[in-house]
Amino acid sequence: MNASTLGTARAVSSNLHGLSEMLKRTVVEVRNGEMGGGTGIIWGGAGLVVTNAHCVQRGADLQVGGDGKWRAADALAYHPHHDLALLASPTVSGPLLEIRDADSLRPGELVFAHGHPLGVNDALAMGVLHGVTRDERDGYVRWVIADVRLAPGNSGGPLVDAEGRLVGINSMVVNGLGVAVPAALVQRFVERALARRAA
Amino acid sequence: MPSKSATNSALTELSSQLASAVDTASNSIVAIHARRRIPSSGIVWREGVIVSASHTVKRDDEIPVNLPNGDSTTATVAGRDPATDLIVLRIKGAKSHVALKAQDSDLRVGTLVLAVGRPGRNVAASFGIVSAIGEGWRTWQGARIDRVLRLDLAVYDGFSGGSLVDASGAVIGLNNSALARGAPMALPAAAVDLVVDELLERGHVRRPFIGVAVQPVALSPSIAKQLDLSRDEALLIVSVADGSPAAAAGIFVGDVLVEANGVPLSRPTDLLDALSSTRASEKLKLKVLRGGVARDVQVAPSDRGSD
Repeated sequence: MNASTLGTARAVSSNLHGLSEMLKRTVVEVRNGEMGGGTGIIWGGAGLVVTNAHCVQRGADLQVGGDGKWRAADALAYHPHHDLALLASPTVSGPLLEIRDADSLRPGELVFAHGHPLGVNDALAMGVLHGVTRDERDGYVRWVIADVRLAPGNSGGPLVDAEGRLVGINSMVVNGLGVAVPAALVQRFVERALARRAA
Repeated sequence: MPSKSATNSALTELSSQLASAVDTASNSIVAIHARRRIPSSGIVWREGVIVSASHTVKRDDEIPVNLPNGDSTTATVAGRDPATDLIVLRIKGAKSHVALKAQDSDLRVGTLVLAVGRPGRNVAASFGIVSAIGEGWRTWQGARIDRVLRLDLAVYDGFSGGSLVDASGAVIGLNNSALARGAPMALPAAAVDLVVDELLERGHVRRPFIGVAVQPVALSPSIAKQLDLSRDEALLIVSVADGSPAAAAGIFVGDVLVEANGVPLSRPTDLLDALSSTRASEKLKLKVLRGGVARDVQVAPSDRGSD
């Protein structure tokens, strides 16, 4: 019994490391001028990065960083209501995270926040899903709430499930709970922003 | 890209088990609307019986309760125990799953646990480990609890009165952040059971008392040797309440209590421990020192909880 329990703990621990390594390749650090920044999620191979609108000061000099290199970035679109911003930095690329539908989330399942809290690079925090809040009018999931420890710098970073699928973008802390914008809203925001530019 | 489901199988399995544990536990977690702002949580402990944290229930009749299946009902108070901050409510007619209890013996430091509450319509959870098991802990209201669980997890608004469950969803204890000034703590299910029994039976918890105030005193080595005592400390009686069991047994101010039920007394809490382990119909056997002579005195404790 003890041996098998220890085996599970080891396997979980090793899975956590794998998850952390996978997430490292999908995030960048976002910096704007002298102001603080946050974390950004690489959105596929086309040089797109999604982050929180509150991490991106309008008109500021934007940079995204990873692997010790900093690259200039432009803001393509904002959605202040959902606290989202889409950035472009042509040479940035990474794997696109699979989207996890918020309707299938179960309270108590494991979630992980990845980001650069308080200047610590690539920090992984583990917690459990607390619940979701829905829009009173249309019933859509508006926020994903998680019992996970976030700090300034986690903003804009991914909240993922145990399989590494994107649950949401960490945006704020309310009463000690992490609050994230659901991944589906983020995806819709990016699609609309790109459609508008193409039009 | 590597196949994530294959590489993360242990993690995915753990995650899925935790979510299932919350699902199981949520079937017996209710929301109690008896204070301003956020409702508190309660556990369906037995058929028609809900247990919660007493401080979160600010009223005594017609208490609105949301059941796990979404139905609403009203509960009445069967009893409160201020010392353990537990309250027992009764609901009539409403069907709900009775919480599944974990085996007390399985409890160890490091056990993965989930706190499950219903601070509104929906259930919510937080995750951590049992960080310590306190033996013989005494609440600030004076109740002695054999074991109390200190938790390394976050207890959010509305979680008090909810359940602490293991990875299978079985209830280990009842969460209450008010027991120790906001620190996450849980009362083990066995301790809750004892209080529930008493509250359902007589509406209050029997707290035997004999009506004395004591303070520690040092005994001279010669007296300790003469009485064959292992310690040189005892308890000096500094007051005896009128009409109390101690007065009826002939105990005076100035007497020195040396032993209770054969256990040496050196601190006031030792006397409380001896009292709480005395059963309803039993007498407390005291060894009393008066004028340098030891005598045995039996006191029949009375029940202070009914006041």
